[in-house]
Amino acid sequence: MGQLLAFLVKYRAFFIFLFLELICISLIVSNNDYQRSAYLKSSSSLIGSITESSDNIGEYFGLKRVNRELAEENARLRELLLSSPKTISDAISNYTIKADTADSMEYILRSAEIVSNDIRKANNFFIINKGSKDGIRPEMGVVSPSGVVGKIRSVSKNYSQGISMLNTRNSFSAKHKNSNRIGTIQWDGLDPKIAKLLFITPDVSMQVGDTIVTSSFNAVFPKDLIIGTVKKSARDANNTYLNIEISLSVDFGKLSYVYVIENVRKEEQDSLSNANPIAIR
Amino acid sequence: MNRRIFTLIVSLVILVPLQVLVFRHFVFFNLGFCFIYLLFLLSLPREVSIGLGMVIALIIGIIIDLFYQTIGIHAAAGVLIMFLKPYWLNMNVPRSGYEINHLPLIPNYGLAWFIGYSLPLILIYSLAVLFIEAGNTGLFWIILSKALITTVVTLFFVVILQYLFYSKSR
Repeated sequence: MGQLLAFLVKYRAFFIFLFLELICISLIVSNNDYQRSAYLKSSSSLIGSITESSDNIGEYFGLKRVNRELAEENARLRELLLSSPKTISDAISNYTIKADTADSMEYILRSAEIVSNDIRKANNFFIINKGSKDGIRPEMGVVSPSGVVGKIRSVSKNYSQGISMLNTRNSFSAKHKNSNRIGTIQWDGLDPKIAKLLFITPDVSMQVGDTIVTSSFNAVFPKDLIIGTVKKSARDANNTYLNIEISLSVDFGKLSYVYVIENVRKEEQDSLSNANPIAIR
Repeated sequence: MNRRIFTLIVSLVILVPLQVLVFRHFVFFNLGFCFIYLLFLLSLPREVSIGLGMVIALIIGIIIDLFYQTIGIHAAAGVLIMFLKPYWLNMNVPRSGYEINHLPLIPNYGLAWFIGYSLPLILIYSLAVLFIEAGNTGLFWIILSKALITTVVTLFFVVILQYLFYSKSR
């Protein structure tokens, strides 16, 4: 016993080292599991408010660009409004019963502002300035006017943290618009402007410039939201799949305002697929 | 003695906010980060015990991590270099030997000695942070080049800051 104690005391530095590293490793592990919310959260209100106020300074320099983007989006929405059919003043149509609006209302959009955003790490996250107070919950999708950004991971009262599409542990279901083939978008950790589209077989004619959109195979995003365009496409060594590089439509380095998408029927969809565990996701 | 503690506290109060508010946004050559707050860990004197040094590194590391959204990673790397630091200091004694109550910095022991002392520690730190963050060795060469550039950039700023703001202890 005495010898054991003497041993422990002699190498106490090493044991303290092991103990502290174990604390760190448990923190890393509990935080990497992105479904579970860990005790220490980067989305906590103190951290959020500090990063937000430091971000405010940088924001002044981006105001011109943000204004232009918002104006462009306004113009696009106005165009949509004009192209939608005008109300017909025909007497008969007054008696037609409109479809139930609850049927069509499947998604709710909430606007939010990016408070902090990384693009240079292998696993990138962002923080937005809306939290549980505003109805944000984990697993909601985040989009910007120019395309898909990511999904929410953990939520505090006023802030939420999201997993960016630029995260090597994150993948999205995507669709090639021309052929309707489904693949998986995965970022490879190199270039924040380029992602990979996996599992597309060589029989699909994939042209440079083709549009890649979200599929309807997940309950996070509505279908046909733009993700990016094909930049390069080549067969892989075994001729099983195509190596496709997508240039992302969102410039993650300049992200400022985003929308959080709530799927009203997500729970119902998820409970259905959980009840049938063999179901294809 | 008091002056030394004053220097350490002031450098802590300035370096950590500088790291999380300013240098967090800087990426050099699209690859290299700058971990300026390492200057504080490196400047802890030899008289601070190894255990206390590691606890300090853990606490500061977690604060940094909260802003970098990488809980535990900077803390783990910080604890690692604070564990290695005393052994490395004993192996790498300056020609005149250590003086009591002197911080291990350029004004006290010279530039050549400081680079020899800090370069391996900063390199180990960068490698630890970047490899734990990537979580696999699939991006080996990219991460290695990131770590090398990070080391050079961090060392550059750590040296410059000392010439600008630190004076010789009396």
